Amino acid sequence: MSFLDFFTDPVLRGPTWGTLLMCISSSLMGVVLFFKKRILLGESLSHATYPGVVAGVSFFAFFFPAHEEWTFVAVLGGAFISSLLGLKAIEWMEQKGKVRSDAALCFVLAVFFGIGTVGASAMQLAIPVWYQQVQILLFGQAATMSDSHIILYAVLSSAVVLFITCSFRPLQALLFDRDFAKSAGIPVLFLEKMVFWLLLFSIVLGIRSVGVVLMSGMVIAPVIAARQFTHQLRMVFFLSACFGALSGLLGNILSVIGSSYFSFQETLTLPTGPMIILVSASFALFSLLFAPHRGWIFRLSRMVFFRLRCLQENILKALWRNGSLSFLDLRKAHAISSFSFRLALFGLSQEGWIEKKGGLFSLTKDGIQKAESVVRLHRLWELYLARALGFEGDRIHRNAEEMEHILTPELERQLTVLLANPTADPHNQPIPQKERGL
Amino acid sequence: MNPYWGAGFFEFFAIFFSRIGQFMLGQFSALSADEVQVGVLSCVAISCGVVGPFLVLKKMAMFANSLSHTILLGIVSSYLLASFLWGGGMFDLSTLLMGAAVAAFLTAIFTEGFVRFLRLQEEASVGLVFTSLFALGIVLVTLYTRNVHLGVEAVMGNVDALCFSDFRVAAWLAAFNALLIALFYRPFQIVSFDSNFAKTLGISCGFFHSLLLFLAATVCIGAFRSVGVLLVLAFLVGPYLTARLFSSRLSRLLLLSPLLGILASLIGVALSRHLLSVYDLPLSTGGIVVMVIGLFYVMALFGKLCMCHRWEKFHA
Repeated sequence: MSFLDFFTDPVLRGPTWGTLLMCISSSLMGVVLFFKKRILLGESLSHATYPGVVAGVSFFAFFFPAHEEWTFVAVLGGAFISSLLGLKAIEWMEQKGKVRSDAALCFVLAVFFGIGTVGASAMQLAIPVWYQQVQILLFGQAATMSDSHIILYAVLSSAVVLFITCSFRPLQALLFDRDFAKSAGIPVLFLEKMVFWLLLFSIVLGIRSVGVVLMSGMVIAPVIAARQFTHQLRMVFFLSACFGALSGLLGNILSVIGSSYFSFQETLTLPTGPMIILVSASFALFSLLFAPHRGWIFRLSRMVFFRLRCLQENILKALWRNGSLSFLDLRKAHAISSFSFRLALFGLSQEGWIEKKGGLFSLTKDGIQKAESVVRLHRLWELYLARALGFEGDRIHRNAEEMEHILTPELERQLTVLLANPTADPHNQPIPQKERGL
Repeated sequence: MNPYWGAGFFEFFAIFFSRIGQFMLGQFSALSADEVQVGVLSCVAISCGVVGPFLVLKKMAMFANSLSHTILLGIVSSYLLASFLWGGGMFDLSTLLMGAAVAAFLTAIFTEGFVRFLRLQEEASVGLVFTSLFALGIVLVTLYTRNVHLGVEAVMGNVDALCFSDFRVAAWLAAFNALLIALFYRPFQIVSFDSNFAKTLGISCGFFHSLLLFLAATVCIGAFRSVGVLLVLAFLVGPYLTARLFSSRLSRLLLLSPLLGILASLIGVALSRHLLSVYDLPLSTGGIVVMVIGLFYVMALFGKLCMCHRWEKFHA
């Protein structure tokens, strides 16, 4: 079983392509829901498909018991109708019943699933073989998908892709500013209707491979991962589709390989749905933690480095003011752990700004220059606050204590020009000149 | 012999109330299966009816949904851990409950943590956490029991196979929840309506938030084995929404929603019995109760809309 077999083998290609296409369409619709801040709608709608699935399968079992291979049409139809009813019920509750959205979502989810449960329990005794088919749809079973599924899936997911590419501009306007879109003459109501129809399509498609219970995960996880890497809507759509497709593919492959790996005594089929969700959730978690700029690790390290630099600059200032100080004297002024203090000192001596002689720290020539530039920024800012903004007293010092770490060379140049290259700050302390020592 | 055998919908009530009358007069007889069902469901209705309003007020209904899913992971992993450590010999209900509690706690931590530290939308965080934990639970169940349908059972419970010990657990739980809510009625009310005001009064929002989470988790865990988490969700939200149509006083809502829940469970059990005796259809009682709760809401909403309509006509 090579990797390519999953795409070409007559038995394996059905599940692979089916899952891939379905994941693309649901992760694209997830982006729309994410920016409308209604991402949990997917959860309710997917649960609301259950009674429709039950009804569709029973309908088929009674009228066309011989054509089992076409059951999926009945499943899709039933699921579509009942999730449409669920959507209407949610809208109705929110508008007519003045119910908060989360309560409406939760209530519709529970009631529809309850109806489905009752129907399924009726099937269990009457038509047990068909009952199994319904149960499979709860957690998804991609393995039995055939080429006819692929065609249907391809048509529906290309409809989703086509809609999003064709109406990208108006959709963008709608997602970020509904009122603006309305005033710009965009047919907002029509677009929203289309979005909901396609959402229903993609959820209904998904229940075959991901299952009724977990379908919402496939809507949620890819867009979370995609959002971490970019802030362009176009790219979010694209990346979300990529993450979705990748997790569909990997999840399906894992479930096939896992099933054959764990079936040592008896056959075991790992349900596809949970595997796909696990893969896409790990993508989401990974990007939440490690994505550049927005990821947790990145933000954390930026914060730590900034704090360290502030500490170092404060140490330089203290040494500049007092000549040389011992470790304990230096440490007294800073309420910070001994470890980070040592780290800051180590960094400073690595830069060649301070040196240690007989237990006393003092500035080197470069260090003096660096310290003076910090002091210069501090005093420039103080002067700016006092002269240009009319601040007084103690407040300017405290504000400058923070700003001295933030001001960039560009700002410094501007301030120098604005204040006409001053030589003394509001406390009549000299402002160190920039080019001294060169 | 079950006295309800072959009873129709109205006969059920006749027998039920006559048996209650007998019980009052001192003629004790063993509880039948239907009575245990009504008892357990009513107790769940009470616990949910007092906790649910606060959950909805604090916009935590979908979080309850999330809890109800992730409990599966807790139960499965505690089951695996217990059988790994003691070979399954020491395995009992309390281990399961501990596992479920840990899972509920982890869900809360993750959901809050993703919002706070990873800067995720709150809804997205809820969705991501519960789908992934639930998926993990399902995979573990499948690997271990070789049967994916245990997960189904967990979601939907099995009201038709209750026993007396379930009733005892549910009753304790109902008493516990009702007592806590009664004790902390004021602070809960203030925290859920105006957290800033609560802060000025020195009421710890964090504490009551966690207490509410804890109560929601105990309700889910307690009901997990007997009636399934789906029913709990319906009981948490449905009766409150129905009661909300007729009253806007919290104290009245807290009384009305358990009552509506109890009524729904009575009607649901009677309906289930009716279908069994008349049409020979053994349906899932839990599902029927959920349907009855849904029906209550729809009827109440229609009733209210009609009433308002007539009221406007009358004055026009």
